[in-house]
Amino acid sequence: MTKRNDISVPRDYFQNLEQRLSRIPHEEVRPTTLQKVSPWLAYAASLAILASVGEFVFRKAAAPVQEDDSRDYISYLSRSLDPDGMVELQENEELTEEDIVNYLMAENSISLELIAEANYEEDN
Amino acid sequence: MDSLEQTFNRIVKEYSERLYWHVRRMVNSHEDADDLLQEIFLKIWTALPTFRGEAQLYTWVWRIATNETLNHLRKERVRAMLRVQSIDAEMEHRIQADPFFNGTEAQRELMKGLAKLPEKQRQVFVMRWWDELSYEEISAITGTSVGALKASYHIAQEKLKLNLSNLDVSK
Repeated sequence: MTKRNDISVPRDYFQNLEQRLSRIPHEEVRPTTLQKVSPWLAYAASLAILASVGEFVFRKAAAPVQEDDSRDYISYLSRSLDPDGMVELQENEELTEEDIVNYLMAENSISLELIAEANYEEDN
Repeated sequence: MDSLEQTFNRIVKEYSERLYWHVRRMVNSHEDADDLLQEIFLKIWTALPTFRGEAQLYTWVWRIATNETLNHLRKERVRAMLRVQSIDAEMEHRIQADPFFNGTEAQRELMKGLAKLPEKQRQVFVMRWWDELSYEEISAITGTSVGALKASYHIAQEKLKLNLSNLDVSK
């Protein structure tokens, strides 16, 4: 079985490629993907912190009255972050994006940053 | 002494074509390879002021290219999973529909089999088989021991052979 000549490139591709790549030093440096994603990550982190703080305050305030907080959105969010809550969610709902992200992080050693980058590029 | 731009242009002249073929074998699409190569050379240009010469320029350039390519492939896999799609099927379709493919069916099947290998195994196979780098060179680029690379290459080769023999096109 031969190795070469099974794939080709458009005519004059390599000449044009060299010229295009040589222009890089004169082009305005575009922000890297991570730089583009940073605001997104910061936003996600802020949301997570807000949810945690909100839940803490809510629990403190709601404890004496014994109100049913099951419909509260913050409580719902924090329960979904809790391992037991996740089990409950997975039993009752279909596979979510969060499940996939968790799986990828746990099983494939893929970082949150990489997932965020992939998701960002998918959306743009 | 070369200015940064002169060094960069030398890298472009010496490595762009070889790196294109490496990337093309890894991503299986001319358009993706072209885009990724731009990203790689942008990264090389951005990082060039920090290159201190501890590694050979050759190793340093290849390391950036292979890391960027692996990152690209992992992101593709994540994107496919977020869409609940199979990356293998996407790759197979890409190879089947490649307008720049002009090889035999056996070569096409080899590419399909290659696309199914885990990314790092695929990388070792491409670097050894198509890029014709020595194990020592691959080891310097990837930071993996020569023994582990040989094992990885052997496993990849066996999987590809099996894939081809099942299809009965391995002539």
